Amino acid sequence: MDQKTLKRIALGSSVLVLALAAISQMQAQTKTPYPSMAALDHYLMPDRNAEIALARSAAPDSISHDAKVLVLGPHGYETAVEGTNGFVCIVERGWMAPFDNPEFWNPKIRGPLCFNPPAARSILPMTYKRTEMVLAGQSKAQIMEGIATFAKKELPALESGAFTYMLSKEAYLTDRGDHNMAHLMFYTPLMDKAVWGADLPKSPIMLNPQFALEGIDVFLVLTGMWSDGTLAPVNN
Amino acid sequence: MNLEKAKTIALGGFALVAVLSVAWQAQAQDAETSYKSMAPLDQYLMADRNAEIALARSAAPDSISRDAEVLILGRHGYETAVKGKNGFVCVVERSWMAPFDDPEFLNPDQRLPLCLNPSGARSHLPLTLKTTELALAGLSKTQMFDSIKSAFDKKELPLPEPGAMCYMMSKQQYFGRKYRNADPHLMFWYPQKDHINWGADFPGSPVDLHQYSPQPITEFDISVSRWSDGTRAPVNN
Repeated sequence: MDQKTLKRIALGSSVLVLALAAISQMQAQTKTPYPSMAALDHYLMPDRNAEIALARSAAPDSISHDAKVLVLGPHGYETAVEGTNGFVCIVERGWMAPFDNPEFWNPKIRGPLCFNPPAARSILPMTYKRTEMVLAGQSKAQIMEGIATFAKKELPALESGAFTYMLSKEAYLTDRGDHNMAHLMFYTPLMDKAVWGADLPKSPIMLNPQFALEGIDVFLVLTGMWSDGTLAPVNN
Repeated sequence: MNLEKAKTIALGGFALVAVLSVAWQAQAQDAETSYKSMAPLDQYLMADRNAEIALARSAAPDSISRDAEVLILGRHGYETAVKGKNGFVCVVERSWMAPFDDPEFLNPDQRLPLCLNPSGARSHLPLTLKTTELALAGLSKTQMFDSIKSAFDKKELPLPEPGAMCYMMSKQQYFGRKYRNADPHLMFWYPQKDHINWGADFPGSPVDLHQYSPQPITEFDISVSRWSDGTRAPVNN
């Protein structure tokens, strides 16, 4: 190889390194579009009835019709409708995502879900706690610390069979892709995800590290059907 | 429309209803009377060992079943055909794993492939092995029922461990005349005493509930959207 060729390769390599560095910087910037909490109003829904309807859309009407419904106010979740079947429907916000999720503060996130009775007793308190700390203006680091303490000292023991419906066609779960997917969520003690065959190619089960800090695994099962009975796109 | 035409349509309608009714009745009676007793054992067996291994594995995506242990049914019970290394066990169950009051309990055509996860293999597979042993021994349905009940009462058969579940996503599964190949689903098992409310069997819910007897087990079936090969399944809900 002559000196000219070597120079060309070296120059080419430098250009490539610079280009890769620029791309990586751009990627980093696009990964953190929500570095901190937006104004509270951006997270609230001004139309209370719309929030009730959205919360209920998480499960088939046969279940959510008789469920208790909570809506988010400036000071936390409030009961909007009393229920009779032990289920609780609610629209969660971005801060219920894993703490390292770049969309943690995304004000567009609307995650309607209906908790079955064991989940309403043993999982929903985490939603209350995180929301309470967020609305009190705490930083993410403070919330993480508070949640770790809460999980150790106050969180009720996880009940067997705790699960939630997330079948709303109107959910907005992420800026990415279709923004949504029809699924159920199962809550278990921390375990090896391979035990359920999660995250393997073509498996309908995924592990969501949402409550890793709290010591709880969240397994998603993709159902392919919305709560209104129509077909959901399959995007696993 | 003139009177004659109306009469002809009405007569045709009645005739169609009558024919359909007779056909339905005949089919129902046929299903009930066809499987009163065990068919010759050969009809429950699969002659091609490799075909049974492939069918068992088709219960779960290849990423799970290729490393699973595979059992196949022989004349004296299930035998290990392939050793596994991921803790899953794939097996093709036969009709006697249906509820005891199922009219197709002894339908020799049924082929029910499933892949049990490790806790399912430890705590649910023993029920499959025991029930199969009783069926192959030629016991009557009543005797099988009593024996299974006694085994649970004496704790010879375990209750489901936490997280016990299985995949049933084979496109080739056959549940018999009524449910045919049903839909791809996952099954989760819990001890019956847990009384869990999953909103199962409500209109529009993807969750079905089965409370078998005499097994003190609650089974939740969750329909999923794809067969194990990744193709989209029809929606039956």
